[in-house]
Amino acid sequence: MFKELDPILHSQLRLAIMSLLIGVKEAEFTFIKEKTKATAGNLSVQVQKLKDSGYIEVTKQFKDNYPLTTCKITNKGIEAFEAYVKNLQTYLQIQK
Amino acid sequence: MPQKQELSEQESLRIISEMILKARNEFYETGVSALLWGSIITFCSIYSFASFYYPLPLHNYVWFLPLFAIIPQIIISINESKNRKFKTHVDAAMGGIWISFGIAILLVSLLYSSKFNIPSIGTLFLILYGIPTFTTGFARSFMPMIIGGIACWILAIISMYVSFPATFLLTAIAAIVAWLIPGFILRRTYLTFKNKHV
Repeated sequence: MFKELDPILHSQLRLAIMSLLIGVKEAEFTFIKEKTKATAGNLSVQVQKLKDSGYIEVTKQFKDNYPLTTCKITNKGIEAFEAYVKNLQTYLQIQK
Repeated sequence: MPQKQELSEQESLRIISEMILKARNEFYETGVSALLWGSIITFCSIYSFASFYYPLPLHNYVWFLPLFAIIPQIIISINESKNRKFKTHVDAAMGGIWISFGIAILLVSLLYSSKFNIPSIGTLFLILYGIPTFTTGFARSFMPMIIGGIACWILAIISMYVSFPATFLLTAIAAIVAWLIPGFILRRTYLTFKNKHV
């Protein structure tokens, strides 16, 4: 049975952020920005949306007097990502 | 990466595989720590061996050199950590392994120092118990097992000062703190998770 894809994850940048975070324990904001090639402003907005959904944890601290933002996927985020991939596979099989 | 309204399923799969690959290809290791310890231990071993055949100065103190190498190692670790913009699960596990190895080797050195003439096997076991317990806790950010691992090492130090049968009591305390208590916590979490997903 085909389920609708999670609208939080079914967005180019949010999906890219989640796909990066699924493979690591935690990543700095600058690393995600570099890999997704997104602008800082756009990335901040999407990171906030993922945080509000409970899919990622965002930690803000200081390193050498500079602000440091670190993102980490939560258990809820892992479950949502796995469900998204599963639904995607089901959808692609239906399309074949 | 521009934000698009429409995202096809094929495009979703492409983004997922591309990003997972990018994170995986970012792995790097400077190798400085391995070179530092490789050089020091090679030097100390060969120097000690040679001192049996040739009158070499300070041969009794050569094994203090690795102790002094801890300071540059801390500086190297801090610098590497500063330059690293992400941490993988493997990094966390490796960190736990090397920290527990460092603590264990210090304790073994203490145990075999001249102060303790007959090293107890119980103490060795307590040191060993701490390694996987601490590493598991460190890798999974699970505080009860980190505490359990540290408790094993504290009990190992205490066991160096107590007589033989009492070591069993310390081992029992170690087993409770390192495994039974974390085990109960893990079991409760597992059952809660299982009931929620039935």
